[in-house]
Amino acid sequence: MSGATTAAYLTRRAAQKERVRILYRRALKDTLNWAVHRHLFYQDASDLREKFEANKNVEDLDTIDKMIAAGEATYNKWRHPDPYIVPWAPGGSKFTRNPVPPSGIEIVNKGIFSNVNKLG
Amino acid sequence: MALRAAVLRHIRLPVQTLTAAGSRPQPQWSFLRLFSSHDDHLTKEEVIDRVLDVVKSFPKVDPSKVTADVHFQKDLGLDSLDTVEIVMALEEEFKLEIPDKEADKIDSCNLAIEYIYNHPMAG
Repeated sequence: MSGATTAAYLTRRAAQKERVRILYRRALKDTLNWAVHRHLFYQDASDLREKFEANKNVEDLDTIDKMIAAGEATYNKWRHPDPYIVPWAPGGSKFTRNPVPPSGIEIVNKGIFSNVNKLG
Repeated sequence: MALRAAVLRHIRLPVQTLTAAGSRPQPQWSFLRLFSSHDDHLTKEEVIDRVLDVVKSFPKVDPSKVTADVHFQKDLGLDSLDTVEIVMALEEEFKLEIPDKEADKIDSCNLAIEYIYNHPMAG
């Protein structure tokens, strides 16, 4: 049995907890992508939460690592091919659609055909 | 040629650049409508109200305990997975996309309100 609350143990546990949180977040978003209608989404989200809660009290670090890896594999297998991304975010439909022009841009109002007859 | 130049000088528009990316009209110009989409940032009261509404409507939360200062895990007794769910609900409420690392750090109402208020695209 490794040392109960050494610093290395705690850092490893903290890293694992962060991985679990990020995995839960992504899995929840993915569930929303698949189950668009809210009543279906609530059902699937409850099931997902149950799966996470069932393994809540595991103590052994290696088992936890294996479970997290298995969870991430399941997540990668079930990822939606066309996820909903907020339009202005990278991957969304409005991303860099209208970038802000650099400051100091001068508006010069010439006619459309002002450059046609260069002889004056 | 000289006539053309004189006419152009007459109709050429003066140069006008915005002072800063997030500059808003002063209150006395509230009748002036700017048709750009960069001038409608939320006020802090609006952000606080909506964030508190979202947190209060979470089923595991006791609405009377929710203030703008609560910490989700320490004051409201929530789980870390509940925190993830609340952050996702806030993302849906404000139409934001928060990166995973940033979302992991949001732990209390204070941080949530600050993050959303400072986000340029908060709807």
